[in-house]
Amino acid sequence: MMKPIPIILDGDPGHDDAIAWVLAKSSPLLDIRAVTSVCGNQTIEKTTYNALRICTLIGCRAPLGVGRPRPLVAQPIIAPTVHGKSGLDGPVLPEPAFEPCGLDAPALMEKVIEESDEPVTLVPTGPLTNVAALLLNRPDLKPRIARISLMGGGIAYGNWTPAAEFNILVDPEAAKVVFESGIPLTMAGLDVTEKALVFPEDFERVRAVGNRVAQVVADWLEFFYGFHRSLGYPGAPVHDAVAVAALIRPEILTTKDLYVAIETEGDYCKGTTVGDMYGVTGKAPNATCILDIDRKAFVDLLVEAVKQYD
Amino acid sequence: MTKIPVWLDCDPGVDDAMALALLLKCPEYQLMGVSAVAGNVEEEKTFSNARNLMHFFGGTAPVYPGAKKPLFREPRTAYFVHGENGLGNVTLPESPQKVQTLPAPDAIYEAAKAADGELVLIAIGPLTNVALALMKHGSLGKLIKQIVLMGGSASYGNATPAAEANIFCDPEAASLVFQSGIPIVMCGLDMTLKAIMSPRELDAMAALNPTARFLRDAAQHGLAYSKAHGFDGMALHDPTAVLYPLYPQLFSGEEAGVAVETKGSVTYGKTVTDLYSDKQFPFKNALVMLDVNREGLIAVVMDILNRY
Repeated sequence: MMKPIPIILDGDPGHDDAIAWVLAKSSPLLDIRAVTSVCGNQTIEKTTYNALRICTLIGCRAPLGVGRPRPLVAQPIIAPTVHGKSGLDGPVLPEPAFEPCGLDAPALMEKVIEESDEPVTLVPTGPLTNVAALLLNRPDLKPRIARISLMGGGIAYGNWTPAAEFNILVDPEAAKVVFESGIPLTMAGLDVTEKALVFPEDFERVRAVGNRVAQVVADWLEFFYGFHRSLGYPGAPVHDAVAVAALIRPEILTTKDLYVAIETEGDYCKGTTVGDMYGVTGKAPNATCILDIDRKAFVDLLVEAVKQYD
Repeated sequence: MTKIPVWLDCDPGVDDAMALALLLKCPEYQLMGVSAVAGNVEEEKTFSNARNLMHFFGGTAPVYPGAKKPLFREPRTAYFVHGENGLGNVTLPESPQKVQTLPAPDAIYEAAKAADGELVLIAIGPLTNVALALMKHGSLGKLIKQIVLMGGSASYGNATPAAEANIFCDPEAASLVFQSGIPIVMCGLDMTLKAIMSPRELDAMAALNPTARFLRDAAQHGLAYSKAHGFDGMALHDPTAVLYPLYPQLFSGEEAGVAVETKGSVTYGKTVTDLYSDKQFPFKNALVMLDVNREGLIAVVMDILNRY
């Protein structure tokens, strides 16, 4: 059996963050060394509370570090229309069975990376505030980070604005630090995540697995599906889970290595991940961009994942 | 048959040359005039190229000089695609036609008045002349029936990763045009990079007649550049804008809001197109072309050029 990859989950749960974490915890290929919260989909208080409840549900007792209450430079934006007032509306969840570890998110990341025998992989599924705070404080730790597999951006288009995807838009300066870091990046952007769609027959398959986690995941998917149908999407895009799928089932993904720059200014383009699709800059790629997914295999992966729980 | 009064604003330019060649052999069009703008090469060259092409193709419409530089930015050329002379370094005989001196913005305005609200403006270079005309002649917006432009992209750029060359060249002019309220058809890279004429098809075209052979020969210079960027053949960027009004069934697109970024440090010149987002733009100002029936398009090009 292969040694599991040490990872840190960093997110702003969020329905799709939650499902990403369910997927991560279910996999014997991954070893969750820490969980950190970031503000994004909701305020830091709410995303932290949600993170604790999710970890309690899925039996993850890795230390949890709390992120800062706002992006590095930009004004905060939250997404209550997408994830509800709590940031994770829908099924009733267990109250937290543990507390944050006392270290703030970047400090916890630093500790985990320093203590690890092997390079650690970061899985940010929210704004990149914590990761940038870590890299700006401890650039010397870059070689100790094996990869950053993130959900964010969109090479072809945005969602929160026509040009920008939510996670990158919320903290563009942080995203710029991460994309210019030189650390191997996997970018699960809208190009793929809006193809990682779940339909009612899919979440009924999840529900039929029968255990507690399966019920909750099905309810989250149903909530997410309802919201996205109201926007005109054909199904529920489980954005963040693709960043985890990239680590455990890369063969179901189609990728292209691209040079990606982050726009931090502009009237319309702030937060845009500008990918050099036609190779006009001559610059070396800095990100492996996921562009397509075998949707059926992705749904199978989610169903298998919830089967791993009691 | 009532002909469609049409104006061509261009920066020849290898694909501009094909666009003009096609336009002149479409009997549905009444070409009111042509204006040159700085773009693929300097305006001195685009003006003389447009004049010489008109003569070479046997056309008689007047050709007017236009802007020598973008509204606010420095000129930027594309010798690597179009050759130093703008026509793939193939030379044409000098046109003996009278040299027009009326500036493009005024010439366009006069034509629009004469066409009595029916003028279709086909703009296949940077939008500098069009913007200058709209800012000088306040009533022009209402006189132009439609602008069919080659430029922009709803997704990726070719001048920079974010921006297409014509819009990148003069983003402020493009912004003015997109905000003008005139119905716009945007023939952008999403569609035009699917309108590829293969080297084999170019050779078949060349066999038709001397005009077609010239167009093939002019295109040779840019083929290596195209190939290096993943496209084996010549993208018929500008010809699609000329053919769209007559052959709309070959194309498909969507109405969308388009705004031009003029400030971003790595995105200026991007046509931000609201096709997919949670509907952030409260307007739809362009019909954005996204796909083309490539084989059908090539057949039409061959058919029209066969009229020479």
